[in-house]
Amino acid sequence: MIKARGKIGFHTLLKSRFWVIFIFVVLLFGIRWTKGAGFIDLYSILLKPILPGSAQKEWIQEGENIERNIRLKLLEDDNTRLRKALSLKEFNSNQRISAAVISRSSRNWWQQLEINKGEKDGVLKGQTVIGPGGLIGLVDSTTPLTSRVRLLTDPGHQIGAWIDRTQRHGILTGMGTNRPKLIFLNKNSLAEIGDAVTTSPASTLLPPNLTIGIVQFVNEKALPSPYAIVQLTASPEAIDWVQILKNND
Amino acid sequence: MIRIPKNSLIFLTILCLLFFTITSPDWLKINGITPCWPVILLLPFSLKNSPWRSAIAAFLLGMFVDSFTISDVSYIPSLLALSLLWSYYGLHNKKIELFLNIGLMAISGTAFVGISIWAQKIIQYSVLRNNWFHSWSIYVLISEVIITGLVAPFLSSWLLLAYKKN
Repeated sequence: MIKARGKIGFHTLLKSRFWVIFIFVVLLFGIRWTKGAGFIDLYSILLKPILPGSAQKEWIQEGENIERNIRLKLLEDDNTRLRKALSLKEFNSNQRISAAVISRSSRNWWQQLEINKGEKDGVLKGQTVIGPGGLIGLVDSTTPLTSRVRLLTDPGHQIGAWIDRTQRHGILTGMGTNRPKLIFLNKNSLAEIGDAVTTSPASTLLPPNLTIGIVQFVNEKALPSPYAIVQLTASPEAIDWVQILKNND
Repeated sequence: MIRIPKNSLIFLTILCLLFFTITSPDWLKINGITPCWPVILLLPFSLKNSPWRSAIAAFLLGMFVDSFTISDVSYIPSLLALSLLWSYYGLHNKKIELFLNIGLMAISGTAFVGISIWAQKIIQYSVLRNNWFHSWSIYVLISEVIITGLVAPFLSSWLLLAYKKN
């Protein structure tokens, strides 16, 4: 006996599992199209409570710091050896004299610091003074127990500096503000905003490669030579302790 | 008012100058600028002494203050001029103890000293002649004038009265 076929219509679609299959297929396509983004996000949310905490991050950072310190030491040794080979001025980073700032005049007509180390501790006129951030000035005069430091910002104070990226020399001149002027010796400075200004590696007066500041503004069209405004990285107004670098010679 | 012997007063003035020049206390600063101590201390002395004595005092005071600075720019020329001016003014005017009068004289004196230092720096450092607008000089000058104008009426008028009592 042949069974009569049921009527086919929209009601069949509504009653059957058609919608379930349809939604499943759409979901599959969606997952394929987004490359499983939703699944991965969900997985990360679920995994978050059992992920390794900040301690592991600190271990990794500590490891990186140790690695960097070792590399720095190796590079410094390498640098010293090469400087000796080139007969350039030697600079021993171990020979530093720490001194406290006992009087400060960093914004007045004269921009200077008085520090509590003098001739008795081996401080000499012309030695370099650094603080957190880099070079801050040079020793201007000494007494047996104290020294006077002329800051880089003092109007008219001039030292040689250069930009490592362009390898162009200039004269850093204090203008009374925290932004001294770097007057280039070349017609084209090639300097750009953000360039690091350091002491020249071939300097005979200052220790090489000491950070001075960052270029903030460049005027290539200035006459007689282009200049840049440099933002100092060390702020003499906030420094209570400084270090005097002793030369080997 | 307690009568203080003149020698003690001069000694006290020098001690004050020493203390304030070296320590430059933060509570006596505006924007990191200290008052012009030579002006505050020279003003009462000049007003109550002869031009010669004032000029000698100005020269010695200038030498003393210059020994605490780093460059060859000097306080002496401006202090000498001010000492003579104040001394002549003091000889011909009787009511100079006025609070406001002392303050105004200190303000104008500080401005004169500041402009003198500024001019000397421009003459000495050729690099400063490339750009005639020196923001730092204007900043220092204005701040120094304000803080000296605030401090002088108290300290200078007290010293002036003390000199007068002697």
